[in-house]
Amino acid sequence: MGYSFPEEVLEHVLSFIDSDSDRNSVSLVCKSWHDIERWCRRRLFVGNCYAVSPAIAIRRFPELRSVSLKGKPHFADFNLVPHEWGGYAYPWIAAFAKAYPWLEELRLKRMVVSDEALELIAKKFKNFRVLVMYSCEGFSTDGLATIAANCRNLKELDLSESEVDDVSGNWLSQFPDSYTSLESLNITSLSSEIRFSALERLVGRCPNLKTLKLSHSVPLDLLPNLLQKAPQLVELGSGLHTKEVHPDLYSKLAGAFSGCKGLKRLCGLQDVVPSYLPTLYPICVGLTSLNLSDAPIQCPELIKLVSQCQNLQRLWVLDYIEDTGLNALAESCKDLRELRVFPSDPFGQEPNVSLTEQGLVSVSAGCPKLHSVLYFCRRMSNVALSTIARNRPNLTHFRLCIIERFRPDYITLEPLDVGFGAIVEHCKDLKRLSLSGLLTDRVFEYIGSHGKKLEMLSLAFAGDSDLGLHHVLSGCKSLRKLEIRDCPFGDKALLANAAKLETMRSLWMSACQVSYRACKLLGQKMPRLNVEVIAEQGHPDSSPDEYPVEKLYIYRTVSGPRSDMPSFVWTMDKNSALSSS
Amino acid sequence: MFWVSLFTMGRATNSSSSSIDSSSHPTVSSASSFPRLKRDLSTDLSLGLSISTSDHHYCPSTPREQQSDWPPIKTLLRKALAGEGNKCNDATFFVKVYMEGIPIGRKLDLFAHDGYHALIRTLDDMFSTTILWAEVDGVLHSEKCHVLTYEDKEGDWMMVGDVPWELFLTTVKRLKITRVDKY
Repeated sequence: MGYSFPEEVLEHVLSFIDSDSDRNSVSLVCKSWHDIERWCRRRLFVGNCYAVSPAIAIRRFPELRSVSLKGKPHFADFNLVPHEWGGYAYPWIAAFAKAYPWLEELRLKRMVVSDEALELIAKKFKNFRVLVMYSCEGFSTDGLATIAANCRNLKELDLSESEVDDVSGNWLSQFPDSYTSLESLNITSLSSEIRFSALERLVGRCPNLKTLKLSHSVPLDLLPNLLQKAPQLVELGSGLHTKEVHPDLYSKLAGAFSGCKGLKRLCGLQDVVPSYLPTLYPICVGLTSLNLSDAPIQCPELIKLVSQCQNLQRLWVLDYIEDTGLNALAESCKDLRELRVFPSDPFGQEPNVSLTEQGLVSVSAGCPKLHSVLYFCRRMSNVALSTIARNRPNLTHFRLCIIERFRPDYITLEPLDVGFGAIVEHCKDLKRLSLSGLLTDRVFEYIGSHGKKLEMLSLAFAGDSDLGLHHVLSGCKSLRKLEIRDCPFGDKALLANAAKLETMRSLWMSACQVSYRACKLLGQKMPRLNVEVIAEQGHPDSSPDEYPVEKLYIYRTVSGPRSDMPSFVWTMDKNSALSSS
Repeated sequence: MFWVSLFTMGRATNSSSSSIDSSSHPTVSSASSFPRLKRDLSTDLSLGLSISTSDHHYCPSTPREQQSDWPPIKTLLRKALAGEGNKCNDATFFVKVYMEGIPIGRKLDLFAHDGYHALIRTLDDMFSTTILWAEVDGVLHSEKCHVLTYEDKEGDWMMVGDVPWELFLTTVKRLKITRVDKY
């Protein structure tokens, strides 16, 4: 049975199969297919670096070229995960250094990467090409200098949103003069003054450079020179700030932008002088992505800019755009697929701009391809949500953040259960949902019965009782990630749905009502889960069993409890004693 | 198997260990019934009060934590917004302005004006005269008046006002106010 199909043929067929889920299916067909598949798999995605150990990954897949790893839970973005929680990249990189000398790509998200780890990458992987560190920390520009000096074939270096210890800007000069393979550079999170001459020379000698995203410290008068050296750019990120303007600078910049005929994606524009925005007008029609979330541009200029971007597919913007700007967007940008509106004054008590639910309703009506929304606003109504749901049943990502907690429907003063219920009911392919506003257990009933394709759900300050959590855990068949903060969910729903937790990547609960007793019970009975309690107040055994845990992170794993936990994280397992209460 | 459901939700008989939520409903699967809200919202809502955290029966985050972790925006955006002043409004764009017949010129910040009308007003005051430009139909008065022109990036002298303000800003190098009779 096994010999009827030569291995080489199967390998060749498999080389066309890229998606992880398809490859996983292939490996389940039979033993020989499992074996062939694992030898020819080249890319690996590990959604939780603690779900599997480097040794297990290496044993199964001996010939990887590209690995993606994710570390901390998503709520780490909002300061909910204490510093030094974990997510260290070094053990992985050290193991890979021995097992995969031909490793080409590493993509890390929310991990701690030390300079030693970067040095390993620089020295041990001879054909290293892509390093992406999204929202990482723990390294300095010294580590970057080692990468620059040693990685001859580096194509992509992306430090988006990472916290870098910025010792000096000279690391850029470490790229040797013979190095010309750079295609993508993202150093927006660096704040020190980089040696601009080094950057200019680097850009000038890399003919395949397509993406250049710079920190805002690059001064405006040097930008035209850069752009002239790289007219083939497809993606640009740059501040456009300056104090003193010369008459020439304006026209130089306008000319430089016009020269970048292939520019499709633009971001940055921190501190932009509004009068300089017209230099962008000639390229607007070619833009598919515009990220103005760092740009304090006011409504009238935003409207002028956005109205010219008829081919825009993605817009990230501050709420300065207001409802009128969103109306203009709905009129002009019929190809829009993704909209994110961020708050310009998130901590203010009163609204500082005229942005309401109406803006989102307009865009949902006017943009037929819109499928992904992240929207911060200060008021919402059930009727608006229902309208949005009916307008856009093709929504796959819907994240609404009403800035003040527990805000009801501003018209009827009811909870927003029915509105969000309409979203899950009409948007049958909804994969990601974040809720806000005043919500009772009823919304979870809707989510449990309709959210069959829901993979990620984020909850805060919502619900009344365990029944809410039970609806979600028992109803959402595709749920992979659930993150909850400040909701009145306790032990019952969690324990009743213990088996569900093994089908999910992870569950985060903070400031809820899950007791130590429940955590210990779960940990004892579910050996394939790591039930981790974060307790900065002290050892779990020092608190009564009925006491609620501060923060709870539960995830499935095949490699047992972590061995690198800090002092405030405990795994509840068979060794956790239930104290007599 | 015991571990599958360590505490079965709502088998009606035995809920003695549940003291967390006394209003939990006996049947789980029925879609039409769900627990009454623990809090009575009607009084709060009719008074237009927003719900305060003290009404809730669970322990929310401390106020200090709430400051730095709600609303959920990322650290970088938070820092950017905190640091944002009115920096973008500080920039200047000074050009030279000459009045024909007067050897000493003036300087004017074009960014301090939001359009042609404001510019003309400033120049009228600066040079104590009436200035003609493209928008004013050529009604030539007998008393002294002047026409506003500018040198563009190609070195040509053009009348001010024909192109949109923003486009003007991209090409203007300096201004000159010429006497009408010479024009």
